[in-house]
Amino acid sequence: MPRLLGDDFLLPTLGPHTKTYFTAGSIQIQFCKDCGHAQHPPDDLCYACRSRNLEYRTMPGTGRVESVCLVHHPVHPALKTKVPYPIAVISVDGAPGCHVLGNVTGCAPESVVIGDRVRAYFDEVPNPHGGEPLKIPNWARA
Amino acid sequence: MHGKAVVAGVGETTYYKHGQSKDTEFQLACQAVERACADAGLDVREVDGLISYMDTRNSPLRVAEALGMKELRWSSTPWAGGGNNSASCVMQADAAVTAGYASYVVAFRALAQGQFYRLGSGSTLASGGAPEGLSWGLPYGEMTPAQECALHTKRWMHDHGVSQEALAAIALASYANAQRNPRAVRYGQPLTREAYHASRWIVEPFHLFDCCQENDGAAAVLVTTPERARDLKQKPVPILAAAQGAGPEIGIRAFQKKWFPGMYYTNVGEMIWQRAGIRPKDVDVLQLYENFTGPVVMALCELGWCRPEEVDAFVANGALEGPDARLPFNTSGGNLAEAYIHGLEMTIEAVRQARGDSTCQAKDVDYSLAIAGPGYAPGSAILFGGTH
Repeated sequence: MPRLLGDDFLLPTLGPHTKTYFTAGSIQIQFCKDCGHAQHPPDDLCYACRSRNLEYRTMPGTGRVESVCLVHHPVHPALKTKVPYPIAVISVDGAPGCHVLGNVTGCAPESVVIGDRVRAYFDEVPNPHGGEPLKIPNWARA
Repeated sequence: MHGKAVVAGVGETTYYKHGQSKDTEFQLACQAVERACADAGLDVREVDGLISYMDTRNSPLRVAEALGMKELRWSSTPWAGGGNNSASCVMQADAAVTAGYASYVVAFRALAQGQFYRLGSGSTLASGGAPEGLSWGLPYGEMTPAQECALHTKRWMHDHGVSQEALAAIALASYANAQRNPRAVRYGQPLTREAYHASRWIVEPFHLFDCCQENDGAAAVLVTTPERARDLKQKPVPILAAAQGAGPEIGIRAFQKKWFPGMYYTNVGEMIWQRAGIRPKDVDVLQLYENFTGPVVMALCELGWCRPEEVDAFVANGALEGPDARLPFNTSGGNLAEAYIHGLEMTIEAVRQARGDSTCQAKDVDYSLAIAGPGYAPGSAILFGGTH
């Protein structure tokens, strides 16, 4: 599926805390192996118990729209033909307290509302710096 | 109550529309510092402390050398965010002066974005070259404070049944008050409720008039001890209390359930009321930084003026407009209608209210409060004592 904002639109920078989320092809959330705390974004220690014993776990890939805003003003030249588009805050099933950002696609942009159930899909994009492709999570109504 | 440091002078350049200043941003910065000293009757070379915020391009070392300051004993910047530090920058000046590390400290902010890059401009972000922390939003077109604050505001309005009219009331109050202020960029351009609702959406629920302006200009606040201020010409304004509060790091952390939706002013409010020994009802005049109207309404509730379910009624019927308002508010026109100098011009208006020389002067001011930018941590607040 083409990316909502265009296949050439801005890509995430892959670094120590973003690489797993944007390449796994599933919703990956960091958990503490000592206390079970789920946290997003990932970091170098557990924010609940200060443990360094952390791992990624695969989530079911469903969630709920916790908030949504409809963007009308294109702040990037590539967005001039893409507005209006929705940006949503999505709570991730299986990861208490963890929210991610995404668009909700495949429906009228103004129809997305708080409480919508959504399911993740993944846009595969070549990595401009070489290596494994990006698999950028995005969301559609469940 | 604190009161061991005072504001001895304030300085502002002319405020321009974005891109209209013929002076460079550095010239504007220096002029504001010079004018704060001139207001106080202090030789600018005596200034020995400088503070600014949000990665200022106008380094204190450059300003100090250019203006011939004899010694720079204090330089600092409140960490993180942007306009959330328009009160804490003066708080740091207070700390430096009260501790005796410096004698005359100026907090300043200069903005001429057209000469550099525009805040909130996504076009400067190169694909694949953005900082890792921005990656959580960029691929989805989430790249501006307007969008971030809209996501918080939308959920908060949903949870508490707050209407668009509450947001409109903030814009209408700031514009109405600017019509009394010849310095205001929007002076002579009143805003009607109809024009507000008819203005284009930037990002729902924010219309154009829910968003702060972009301006060129600079502002500066001179802080010293009460003893030194006695030898200066301006009426000294005591700093009664100040506070800076914790919150999430900018970006995706601000959307986690722990913080969402929120503006990070509950803790700042608790601190400022406890330190000052007053409550919201005791505040005679309030300047509350508008990046966008939604965060203002949320912060009013977090600080304790009313509950979210009451805020529509609290701000309705011109309750914030004019010097005789139930709560005189953003009396210079604020970021929306005076100028957006990252909120420091609103801290100056709070000083002016304490001195009694605002163009929209509240009566018998004992407590004049400035609240810095909501929605970005750390939030900050500063309370000035009246001089009437």
